[in-house]
Amino acid sequence: MEDDAPKPYVSKIDRRTALTWIGIVGAATAVGAGVVVYSPKIGSKPEARGYGTDPNLVNPAKAPWPRILTADQLQTAAILADFILPASTTAPSASTLGIPDFIDEWVSAPYPDQVASRSKIVPGLSDLGRKVLKASGADRTTALEALQGTPFFISFRKLTVGAYYTTEEGFKDIGYIGNVARVSDPGPSEAVKAVLERELRKLGL
Amino acid sequence: MASEPYDVIIVGSGAGGGMSAYHLTKSGLKVLMLEAGRQYDPTTETPMFNIPAQAPLRGASTPDKPFGFYDATVDGGWEVPNEPFTVADGSEPFIWWRPRMLGGRTNHWGRIALRFGELDFKPRSRDGLGYDWPITYDDLAPWYDKTERLIGVSGAAPPRGLLNTPDSPAGCLMESAPPRAFEIFYERAFRDMGIPVIPMHGAVVTQAMEGRNTCIFATPCGRGCSIGANFQSTTVLLPPAMATGNLTITTDALVYQVDLDKVGKAKGVSYVDRKTGKHHSVTARSVVLAAGSGETARILLNSKSAAFPDGLGNTNGMVGRYLMDSVGLGVQGRFPALENLPPTNDDGQGTQHTYVPWWGYEKQKELGFPRGYHIEIGGGRRMPSLGIGSYVADDENLVGDALRDKLRSRYGSGIGFDGRGEMIPNDDCYCELDPDVKDKRGIPVLRFHWKWGDSEIRQAAHMVQTFLEVIDRLGGTPQPGFETDGRKAISKGGEMIHEVGTVRMGQDDKDSVVNQYGQSWAVPNLFVTDGAVLVSSPDKNPTLSILALAWRSSDHLVTLAKQGAL
Repeated sequence: MEDDAPKPYVSKIDRRTALTWIGIVGAATAVGAGVVVYSPKIGSKPEARGYGTDPNLVNPAKAPWPRILTADQLQTAAILADFILPASTTAPSASTLGIPDFIDEWVSAPYPDQVASRSKIVPGLSDLGRKVLKASGADRTTALEALQGTPFFISFRKLTVGAYYTTEEGFKDIGYIGNVARVSDPGPSEAVKAVLERELRKLGL
Repeated sequence: MASEPYDVIIVGSGAGGGMSAYHLTKSGLKVLMLEAGRQYDPTTETPMFNIPAQAPLRGASTPDKPFGFYDATVDGGWEVPNEPFTVADGSEPFIWWRPRMLGGRTNHWGRIALRFGELDFKPRSRDGLGYDWPITYDDLAPWYDKTERLIGVSGAAPPRGLLNTPDSPAGCLMESAPPRAFEIFYERAFRDMGIPVIPMHGAVVTQAMEGRNTCIFATPCGRGCSIGANFQSTTVLLPPAMATGNLTITTDALVYQVDLDKVGKAKGVSYVDRKTGKHHSVTARSVVLAAGSGETARILLNSKSAAFPDGLGNTNGMVGRYLMDSVGLGVQGRFPALENLPPTNDDGQGTQHTYVPWWGYEKQKELGFPRGYHIEIGGGRRMPSLGIGSYVADDENLVGDALRDKLRSRYGSGIGFDGRGEMIPNDDCYCELDPDVKDKRGIPVLRFHWKWGDSEIRQAAHMVQTFLEVIDRLGGTPQPGFETDGRKAISKGGEMIHEVGTVRMGQDDKDSVVNQYGQSWAVPNLFVTDGAVLVSSPDKNPTLSILALAWRSSDHLVTLAKQGAL
């Protein structure tokens, strides 16, 4: 095995949750009154249920719908996510943060936006998988670079970036320093104001 | 807890119902409040510091949670399960946001708490359009003062005397947090255009206030607030009302009818229990409707009797008429000047710290549209959401460190400009009972009719031009997705969730349903204290005015009750 060959992606989803999705455990799929059931169908298969109109917000349950990506598609998602956001010197790679599982959650969801996204992402992963799963390092890189600019790549990158930067690790990487209780809001620092003034002067303001 | 016989039944627990309950119970009256939604407790149910990664789909908007997973709204949104409505053939689109929870929309609202001004109460006298209220600004001003002091409103500033943009008297408002970087930034462009930028009035407690927690300058208000630092009926009005011992709250009670006695006075209401489907009737000496403009009108229209074959108080066909919303639209800009700012915490106080009140009252003729709008402006380095990937353009082939660097510099460099404008009431905007469609309990549903007037369309076009000019002056680029044609740019009816009117107040029963105290002309022990009573829909967001009017009306109800006049 070459040094740069991708290590198999190990899903961050625990086994019990996965069994629930395929109906072996079952309890979490019980949904109460008030749940909107969506009608769009792929082929003849009805969509699964969503999380309903009154989910627990403080301790959210894992998204209840079954996941649809095959093992190969999930591995391909990991390779592409890490092509987009490999580890940097200070931040982890996309797959380390479980982004491939998020992609699976997203394309498996029963809601209209996600169903639309599914039809773009899933075939894209299948096509890419044929090119990269068994390829040598150089061929894999060529295939990934050739993908840039395609509608599939653009959609996948938006999801990967969105999922990555909505984690604590992503906050740190992008420079979000909020979400902490404060006694007061002192406003921007002198350093921030100095940069602002410089920029405003350039604009003649 | 109070028990039968009640002095007052209040239908609804939001701004109007909550304020009515607060004042009536404090005045010693025994009150039963009926809420269509479920019990809701912000102290335990608010996802204060949760991040998107903890939510399904990173918190993205879905039909189950249209404003995102963490939005406070329970069992509602643009659709409510089992509670349909219809829009008439040939109507422009109308959409209707409803929650089903104690406290109603006050749990998720934007907390923008602007007073209506003196011109807003006399629009017809000003330019011959719309209708005058039976009260003036001065009639309501003392109630605005009391309301601001009670609910906690920030935005204190030295008096400016801007036309139709009232200054609150000293002591009513707390100081806002200072402007954030993007707010300092955009103010310069407006200043250059001669347009004032002033502190927003926000229903957020920013300084020490007796009996309330102060804002912690983190977590979005739209989720609600577990420490009660912003205004929600469920944290500010209902707990003190309960503490009097004079309030009983029944949730999951979907009221559909006001019941009358033999002499034509209200004797109570009938409701369906949402959980059991059973019908109940309860009685009281008087009834207050505060179910929201749509639902309040529906209850009246469904209250048919020999004396009122077309619905209670609808002898002159006024119930459901003059439905209004705000005009709304937004344009986003990206600003290279904001890239590469040092790290800064822009979480702020939830509401905008500053805003742009309407500046064109004295040049409406030359502008070519009769009524104005204010601008609500959002930006800064807020908690990233799933949409953050759009900071990189589709055709930028960036990955790895180059992608990380680009995102880091552009993050927070976007500013969104949103207009909220006055709508003039017109004959084409109203609701009525659908002659065919009933909900699953057999109750006829509302059918909406909607048509924006030319005044609103021209105003919307002006909003877009203003935002484009400001973005240009700031060296920015408008983001795709905006329309310059006012007809295409304008919001859908109901979309701003400021639907008001339908049971308006007036001087007599010929052209109104209730008097200046929300008291029904037809049934004197029946009151309306929600947004249904509004005669005009100024650009200012309606909640503060609904609260002030509800307090004033409730006080009148107390006076009548003490005189034995109910």
